[in-house]
Amino acid sequence: MRARWALGALGALLAAWPWLAPRYFVFLASLILVNAVVALGLNLLSGYTNQLSFGHAGFLAIGAYTAALLTLHAPAVPVVATLAAAGALTAVVGLAFGVPCLRLSGLYLAMATLAFGFVITEAILNLDGLTRGADGLRVPVARLGGWALATDTARYYLVAGVTVLLVAAAANLARTRTGRALLAIRESEIAAQASGVPVARYKTIAFGVSAFYTGVAGGLFAFIVGFLSPDAFDVFMSVDFVVMIIVGGLGSVPGSIVGAAVVTVLHDSLAGFQNYRPLVFGLILVACMLFMPGGIAGFGARLARR
Amino acid sequence: MTTAALVHVIVSGLATGSVYALMALSLVIIYNATRTLNFAQGEMLMISTFVAWSVQQTFALPLGVILPVAVLAAAAVALVFERLVIRRAIGATHWDVLIITLGLSLALRAVAGLAWSHDEFPFPSFFPGRPIALGPVRVAPVSLGIIGASLALMLALAALFRWTRLGRAMRAVAQNQRAARLMGISVERVYSLAWVLAAVVGAIAGVLVAPVIFLSSKMGLIVINGFTAAVLGGFGSMPGAVLGGMLLGVLENLAPLYLPSGIRYSVPFIVLIAILLVRPAGLLGRIEPRKV
Repeated sequence: MRARWALGALGALLAAWPWLAPRYFVFLASLILVNAVVALGLNLLSGYTNQLSFGHAGFLAIGAYTAALLTLHAPAVPVVATLAAAGALTAVVGLAFGVPCLRLSGLYLAMATLAFGFVITEAILNLDGLTRGADGLRVPVARLGGWALATDTARYYLVAGVTVLLVAAAANLARTRTGRALLAIRESEIAAQASGVPVARYKTIAFGVSAFYTGVAGGLFAFIVGFLSPDAFDVFMSVDFVVMIIVGGLGSVPGSIVGAAVVTVLHDSLAGFQNYRPLVFGLILVACMLFMPGGIAGFGARLARR
Repeated sequence: MTTAALVHVIVSGLATGSVYALMALSLVIIYNATRTLNFAQGEMLMISTFVAWSVQQTFALPLGVILPVAVLAAAAVALVFERLVIRRAIGATHWDVLIITLGLSLALRAVAGLAWSHDEFPFPSFFPGRPIALGPVRVAPVSLGIIGASLALMLALAALFRWTRLGRAMRAVAQNQRAARLMGISVERVYSLAWVLAAVVGAIAGVLVAPVIFLSSKMGLIVINGFTAAVLGGFGSMPGAVLGGMLLGVLENLAPLYLPSGIRYSVPFIVLIAILLVRPAGLLGRIEPRKV
């Protein structure tokens, strides 16, 4: 019952945020939510099926460019369909990349995904007839029917709506057959296989679902930022996503969201420190993992048990 | 393209590759002993090279002091990290330690930026600048120097691991930590020594490569190439790290000659993905059998 109240309060805060906060913080909240969707997607892959990816900035880029180009060339398409298309195309790429990657594990997979991310940004840079390459691409305003999402608040509601949908889907994972299979794989791959869970198939599905989440997030990212350039989607961005899920807690839905919020807010609030920013950020990461091994979700679980 | 020019490109590729190989070796040394991937390896290299350069410039000492100072600085940084940070991470998983080393690398790069700015500095070279003619082939002495010094260091490492007590202890810990402890090996000491040894190898790589790529706070990013090389060769395998490094270096230098500019930077990565698809544990890596 208490959990339901907390959820309700959180929903109310989410809905009321644009009236409570100044304009910049509305944008920041949108960014947190987008990162939370990526972290959720990455956690489905890394936290549940133990496949670490250092290439999710590449998936985010595919989603972002798909959404931007679709809106540019077919302005009549409603934004919801655009986002679905961005997610679907990214998922197809994810599946195509995930199948051969089934043979890889641990550091080898980390390296292959890192290489994937690099190849994607290079491809965007070189397909400049389509993506405008290094000049960057201005993203047109998203439209929903006759309604243009031209303000930060309008875009925030789009992001919040999609995020709530995707978080609800992830949180209810245990109610589906696929979800239960993923949970079983998270607990023990060998035990799952012994109980008849086709591990390879579900690992591939996890790759596809993870890419779908990240692709949708990419579409949202394109609309809230308004300008895309391939160098934004570099390996540091991919590393940031990994930081979000480890600091938040591997294999945890609330952990993904909290991790995304912590990393996004830290990056933003430390901007004033200028040259000291990476120093402070780095030391916070060290302290975080020293005092909260298992991330914030692990810490929370220990507090609750006490 | 003439054969002589081709040989020239391959030699400089091998030189770059030697540095990648040393970087890969230092990652593998720590990984084998502690099963952690050290994100901060590149920044440790960068800091120790900077310290050695500052000491040499400030006190106007002969160039010869750079190497020992770099080695000492690297060993000190590694000891401090291992003792004060990594060892305190009790109950932390490998993922947690990965984030700790990432945090350390960010902090180190920021510290270097504050102490020496983020500019690039020319770094004195031990080798003459004029190319040497070997028959029709002209090669840069710095390339030969890097290759020679790296090979010497690799042989020394091989001897250390094969014939010394310490090397045997490190191999034992890499194979089976519990059995090693039961045989009376202090696993904690092996951890510390692995960090120090890796840092020393990295420092030497830093001093070798700094004249070519300039001294800057960003030079630590070479760790990504080292990681690529180690994976290419098979993570955990030392001959694999050397092979992977050399292959990557030559590939990077050859690709621009034959390929359009659009894809030349992607080639090493595409080759890497292709190799991993055929050999999922790298060229010389072994797939560990799964025990149920």
